[in-house]
Amino acid sequence: MVIQLTPSPVVETADLKALRQKVRDFVAAELASGGFTPTINSWLGGWEPEFSRKLAAQGWLGMTIPKEYGGHGASFLERVVVTQELLAAGAPVSAHWVADRQIGPSLVKFGTEEQKQKLLPGIATGELFFGIGMSEPDAGSDLASVRTRGTKVDGGWKVTGSKVWTSGAHASDYFFVLARTAPLDTAHRHEGLSQFIVDLHAPGVEVRPIISLNGGHHFNEVFLEDVFVPDDMVLGTIGDGWHQVTSELSYERSGSERFLSTLPMLEEIRQAMSRGDIPVDPELGRYFARIMALHQTSLAVAGALSRGEEVGTPASIVKVLGTTTEGDIAELATMVPGAASAAASLDTLRRYSDQALLERAGFTLRGGTNEVLRGVIARGLGLR
Amino acid sequence: MSENAQLDADLAELFDDVFGTWREARGSATLELDLDRALWATLDETGISRLTAVDGAGASWVEAAGLLGAAARAAAPLPIAENDLLSGWLREQAGIEDDGLLHSAAELDGAGAANAVPWASQVDRITLLWPAGSGWKVADVATSELTITPGRDLAGQPRDAVKADLSALEGSDVSAEVAREYRLRGALARAVQMNAAMGRMVELAVEHATSRVQFGRPIGKFQAVQNLIADAAAEVAISGSAADAAVLLAASGQADLDRLELSVAVARSVAGHAASTVVRNVHQVHGAIGTTFEHQLHEFSKPVLAWRSEFGSVREWDSLLSEKLVASDEGLWSFGVETDG
Repeated sequence: MVIQLTPSPVVETADLKALRQKVRDFVAAELASGGFTPTINSWLGGWEPEFSRKLAAQGWLGMTIPKEYGGHGASFLERVVVTQELLAAGAPVSAHWVADRQIGPSLVKFGTEEQKQKLLPGIATGELFFGIGMSEPDAGSDLASVRTRGTKVDGGWKVTGSKVWTSGAHASDYFFVLARTAPLDTAHRHEGLSQFIVDLHAPGVEVRPIISLNGGHHFNEVFLEDVFVPDDMVLGTIGDGWHQVTSELSYERSGSERFLSTLPMLEEIRQAMSRGDIPVDPELGRYFARIMALHQTSLAVAGALSRGEEVGTPASIVKVLGTTTEGDIAELATMVPGAASAAASLDTLRRYSDQALLERAGFTLRGGTNEVLRGVIARGLGLR
Repeated sequence: MSENAQLDADLAELFDDVFGTWREARGSATLELDLDRALWATLDETGISRLTAVDGAGASWVEAAGLLGAAARAAAPLPIAENDLLSGWLREQAGIEDDGLLHSAAELDGAGAANAVPWASQVDRITLLWPAGSGWKVADVATSELTITPGRDLAGQPRDAVKADLSALEGSDVSAEVAREYRLRGALARAVQMNAAMGRMVELAVEHATSRVQFGRPIGKFQAVQNLIADAAAEVAISGSAADAAVLLAASGQADLDRLELSVAVARSVAGHAASTVVRNVHQVHGAIGTTFEHQLHEFSKPVLAWRSEFGSVREWDSLLSEKLVASDEGLWSFGVETDG
């Protein structure tokens, strides 16, 4: 038996490198003019619509959406390069993150012509923001157990249930809801699920905040009571929801946000060492090496995805090791000698560290827990 | 579009055939690993013993890494890296003609001594590299002209003390860059070998976990066992990606030494830390049988641990990276992910 764990490596072309440099120059200019303040975990916490629109003006939102729908017809690797540079800088990208990463590609793949014309241009301009309604109070890792129900009515569907952990629902326009449209068949649990595009301001929709343990508000619970969804806002095919949802998971799992959430903090540690505020420690090199290795793996997965290869196992590997590593970096700043000093020069590091330590618990949960993903890897290895 | 630099499938199959055939006929493992001259002759006849020779097959680091990996996956006792990637390359740098003999290579100190030189007691000649004044010298010397004290590493591979009489050696001048690149080539070769052997270990873990039955089912059905293997596989995957990147950079022939050093250091750091998880987890999955000489697992786990300590320790690579990062004017992300080729 021979196991091939990673797709073939990607060597960045001159065009990709030039794009990378262009984003770097943009980021540097924004930082110089105070356009944003870097944070860790900026793809969940950094909600700044104005910044999203600046990116849209550069052509860096909805990059892979075809030009006829307001996008830029760019390659998936080009989007990877742009998002990496923004995440590495801790730029606030959360307002458009879900729409740009998942909703756009799903609409391109499964949406009707009318849906594409109605929604894709707004995604590319940063005018339309989206949430994802998958998890429920009784359906977390076990997504097939969703109870939100869609019932056929004249001209559309009535959707009733509740969704939880919906990032940004309080500030978004729509969210994709996974609902059961046929009774549960316990032998075929993945059948009978469908996706609806739900207007978050429609009658019957109520958004309640879920406050995080650090007082922050990204998550919401969304209650749906007999919310009418017209037929033309069904995504894809009724009954095909499971396939539609899972076909995009490798994009989500292998993305750079799975290992770059705390990169600004590792950079701040480096700078503190450069300044002599804390002693140079081999752990810096160790985590840098790990980030670089994850970057190479993520890029290889991206290359394979754009060639249409099956990458469930390596995508899960990126997420398991990436989210663990970014969490370990959160702790690193408090472990190295001198970190406990109250020196003002360590203020930024302390700000990152406090934030990272309090948000770390979520890193290895969101987008599929590492325990579930280890199961995916084990299945890929033929163990289950 | 991005290029895909991958080992040609036919060549990969040839490598696997050569070592697979050898391993089937080999008989039992040995505690001490001696150079297999018959297998070497097969490589010679197949034209793959000196892959990267400039006047030979003209192959690059990509093919050389493929061959090294295939040998490591079969636990074949051969000085492929030493003969081709180290000695062969050094001789080319020094303008010494290829003689078709079997070589190793050694970096001597100013007194002409080196410890733990791979395969020194079992090859025909050794290409020596030593500091002389402000520069470096290279000479290719028959083992009979050297004082060699045999030794073994923890895997049973020959690692011998070598002493040369430098005053009797003329040597060709080479630059300090040659000495630096020599060490990086050695370090990269070990990363490639480690990853291949670790990949084989994960395969053995899967084979064992799907065939060994306890509590009425294959132990691989238990999540605790699955997690051990999944974590090992994950480490091998990212370690392999880091080594791939370094091999491609070396193969491009366009990287300056600072750049190559960065890439090799990343590969060695990740491979070194991966080895801790992979060796521990894969042995744990095998249970007591994996601790025996009878089971083949040690043919892979022992070399991984031995190679990890050659051409720089894990901590040395971590430290080197830290020092480079701290000394740089650039942020660590742009330092690691270049935009200008």
